[in-house]
This record gives sequence, structure tokens and C-alpha cells, in this order.
Amino acid sequence: MRFLLEAPVDGDLDEITAAARAAHANGVDGVLIRRSRWSPDPLVVVAAVAARVAEIRIAAEIELGEQHPFEVAENVAVTDLTTGGRLILVVRPAGALGDYAEALDLLRTALTPRPFRFEGARWRVPANLPENEFGQERLVRLTPAPAQPSVPVWGTGAGRGPALERGLGHLADEDDPADELGAAHARAASSLGPAAIGAPRARRETLGDGPEALVARLLAGREQFGQDWAVVAGGGDEAAVIGRQVRPRVQLEHLHPSLVALWEPDAG
Amino acid sequence: MTTVSAERDASVLSRMGLGLWTVRSMAQWPRHAVGGFSELVDDALLAEELGFHSIWSAEHRMWYDGWCPSPLLALAHVAGATRRLRLGTAVLLASQHDPISLARTAATLDRVSGGRLDLGIGLGHRDVEFDALGLRRDRRGRMMDRALELMPRVWGGEYGDAPPIQAPGPALWMGGMAPRVLERAVAGNYNLLLPQTLSAGRIGALIEDIRARGWSATAGVMRDLWIEDDPARVEEMRRRLERGFTEEAGWWVLQGHPAFDAPELLARQLHRVSDAALIGSADDVAAGLRALLEAGVGFLCLRINIDIADHAELREQMHRVAGQLPPRLAGALVTSGARG
Repeated sequence: MRFLLEAPVDGDLDEITAAARAAHANGVDGVLIRRSRWSPDPLVVVAAVAARVAEIRIAAEIELGEQHPFEVAENVAVTDLTTGGRLILVVRPAGALGDYAEALDLLRTALTPRPFRFEGARWRVPANLPENEFGQERLVRLTPAPAQPSVPVWGTGAGRGPALERGLGHLADEDDPADELGAAHARAASSLGPAAIGAPRARRETLGDGPEALVARLLAGREQFGQDWAVVAGGGDEAAVIGRQVRPRVQLEHLHPSLVALWEPDAG
Repeated sequence: MTTVSAERDASVLSRMGLGLWTVRSMAQWPRHAVGGFSELVDDALLAEELGFHSIWSAEHRMWYDGWCPSPLLALAHVAGATRRLRLGTAVLLASQHDPISLARTAATLDRVSGGRLDLGIGLGHRDVEFDALGLRRDRRGRMMDRALELMPRVWGGEYGDAPPIQAPGPALWMGGMAPRVLERAVAGNYNLLLPQTLSAGRIGALIEDIRARGWSATAGVMRDLWIEDDPARVEEMRRRLERGFTEEAGWWVLQGHPAFDAPELLARQLHRVSDAALIGSADDVAAGLRALLEAGVGFLCLRINIDIADHAELREQMHRVAGQLPPRLAGALVTSGARG
């Protein structure tokens, strides 16, 4: 089981940095930066945090389906380079699901180091508009390529379905029923076959009911839909609880009770 | 509108920005793509320590060398590492972006950096760049006007966003010198970022003209610059500049032609650039800059990173500019281009 700390959305850069440092100090895998009034472009926050905190993964949740996906892909590639290859991209539809799915395909095509041509219902790259007299290329390439050979892309919200169909990861919401998630994965696995192996299965979680409740929920999530990532809202305090009380208890299928008893005096 | 400080006795360094970090990996100067961004941060930290006003990036897309297509994200990386240094684009191709998304990215950077963004914008000219994004190059002026109309509305909260730190928005600089560019600068009282090929005489006349039309912002100018005392090194650096410029400009469109297919136009442009470049002793370089300051220029974007040097040479050059030019330019800020 891996963990991301969902940093406060209205915090300033110093506050987000503090959360990211706490994540690093407590063995949490990374942080997730969500879009907010304060940071309408979370990739900017990712690139800034990347200069301050090493090694952890930095995830950004962005909308897909309105802004031109080639432009989005360029921003993603450059952001990934600033992180040295630590970016995870969480995407949700900005509008119609069809536009989102097409944008997802164009984004992933553009992030390869290959010259390409993409002909979708909404976007064509290159467009070969007759007015662009010197722009009549057969294939084009996005440069520079991202640092990662394949930037992880997870669908969330209404964007989970198209992500699952493509063998990508997903980030479920806290109240998404586990049995429905399990059924969706079973469908994806039966249509994709081995191509479905390894796709991250994440869910938003909370420490509101305490670490024991979260441990129980994660163990159940793993049974019901193969959950292997948890995105937990919070800052430094939550990072310490995850690192000391939650993470150790959900790494293996089970632990010897005596080991857990040994940890008890450290808890709380 | 934020303008450069107009204090007469302030160090001239407070009116000097360094450019242009485009994070390329060229045939002549190959490097790792991630390392380019680490070097950018290291260089920005040095620029901040040496007392420069700002560091500037630029935008192009889809070239073999990976010229950074998203300067605001490169600068966001710098923002995370620095505290005071301002962060500029010279220029960002505003006519190639969705204006609302661009305004949001700029506003986020302005907030993350504590109000340090200098947003220099221009049109762009390569058909392939417009075409990849489904845009027509012949409508680039219209796209620019739309961006200038929509960005302040996003920054003003009309789309639900929190305001940027700088009010009413990130400082805007109009790149270029075409009549329409000057019209836009006058209409919005935007700062200007004039190209590196303009002489001090022409700049003085241009500033006088637009001042008469009511413009009161800051005139910035780009200038290719390299300090070398040894005459043989001066020649060597000029050769490198010419080769580097030919490589860069070869994939531009000059008067409707891909430059590599129009060698005469490319050569003419190359001579303009080479003639205007200040490459020489600190005394010679300072004399060239003094002329610009006395013509009414309020801000200098010194283009020392012209991809003609390795990283160690570039950093040494930053030390030279910071150490050798200010004493030679003392008292040159007689005619201030800035209005507070």
C-alpha cells in the first residue's frame, strides 16, 4: 500500500512545502496538489514544490477536455522534468466525457517521444489548416519529452471509467462503494486481459475516525477492489499518523499480533 | 502596473535582468533534459545572490533541442528555490494559448512566487506552432487582443479565481516593436520589451513618440551581451553568437519564408543581430548600455545565455556582468524610463 498526502488547497507555498516535507520525513510516498481558487493551475505548484522537496512523488489533479490537450501535454512534460520524473497526473473531465476521453488519448500520444498524427472528433494534431502555409507537417512531436518514460495518469471522478478502459490508474472518491469499484475492475480485467495488470487503484481516505478505522478500511479496500494507494487529506500531523500507525499495518497481508502489541505504547 | 524602481542612485543591477534560459539540449551543447532544469535553478540562485533584478525565459515549441514550450512552469520551479529574484518571460507566445488557462497559470505562478512574475508576451511566428494547436497564424493579433481582454477579467475574479498577488495582475510587458505592438502598449500602458536589434537612437525616438501619446510605463530592451577582454576571445564569441543565431533563426519564418530557405533574409537578420550585440571589454559593453539608459530605457534584459557557452563559462560571465558593469554605469540613470 502506498500513500499520498493531499495538501491543503488554500495554503500558501510554504504551507504546502511543510506538508510535503512532513510526508517525506514520515515515509509517505508523496503529496497530491488539487486545483483551487488559489492555485487554478496545480502544475505550477508541483514545479515549485519540486525545487524544495526531493524524492517524494508529487501528484497534481487537473481537468481535461477543454484546454487543448497538446498544450496540456507540454505543461505536463515540462512539469515532470522539473520534478526529475516524480509527477503523477490525476485527471477529471472538464466537460463532456467524450471530449475527456479523446483528450486523454491525445495527451498520452503527445507524451511519447515519437512524431505523431492524431485525428479525433474534436482535436486534430497537426491541424494542417490551409492558412498555415508553412505548417503542413505530416507528423509532429512534442519536445521536450517528459522525464518519465510513461507519466502515470489516473482518472478520477467521472473520469475513472475511461481511465480503467485504457488500463490506467484511478483515484476513487471516499464514498465510492467498494463493491462497485471491484465490479468495474473485474470488467476492465476481462476486456483488457494482462494489460490490466499493475494499474494503480487509489481511493481518497480520511483520518477523521482515527488510524484504526483507516487501517480497517484499507484492508477491506484491498480485499474488495485491490486498493493499493490511499490519498489522505491533511498536513504534518496526518503524515506522522500515516507513517507510524497506518502504513506499517497495511504493507503485508497480515502481521503477527505480538508485533502489533509491541507498537502499541508508541501509538497515539 | 509594477515598474522597475526609479531611484537614481539605486544599483544599476536592480534594472538588469538576465536572459534567456530556454533549457535546450543542442547539437553543440548537449545535456540531460532534467539537468537543464537543475542548472536553471542553480543559475537563478546565483543571479539572486549577485543582485540582479530578474531571470528571463522564452517560449517556442516542437524543435529538436527541446526549447522549453512552457516557460511559466520552468519559472515556477525557480520560484520554489528563490526568494527575491523576479521571474520573466521574453517572451511568452500569448497568441498560442487558451487565454483563460494562460491567465490561471500566470496567476498561480504570481501567487506561488509572492508576486514576482513579469509576464512578457508576444505573438510567435512559426506556422507549425500555431498549426499543432489548431490555430491560424494569420489570426495571431486577434488572439493577442483576446488574451489582453480576458486575462485581466480572470485576475479580477470574474471566473471565480482568487486574485494574484500583484494588482491588478502580473506585470505585463509587450514584446516587439511593430506599430500594432506600440498601439497595444499605449492603449494598456503596458511595459515594453524591445528587440535586441534596435539602436539607442531609434529607441530614444520611439520612446519619445509613445510618451507623447500618453504612455508612461517602463521601456525595457533586450541586448545580446558578453564581456571579454582578450580580442581573440571576442572574435571567438562573436563567431559562436553568429553560429548560434543561425541555428536558432534558421527555423523561424522571416517575411513569410522559412529562414533556412531564404538565406539572404537570414544573413541580413544575422548581421543586424551581430552588429547590435555588445561583445567586448567591460568598457565597450558599458558604453553600449549607457547609450541605451540615456535614451530612456528603464530596464535591460541582458541576453548572456545565448547558447554559445558551456555552463561554467556562463556562470563566470554572470559574475563579470555583476562585478564589472555597475561601477562603469554609475550615474547613467539620469533619464529614468520608469514611473512608479
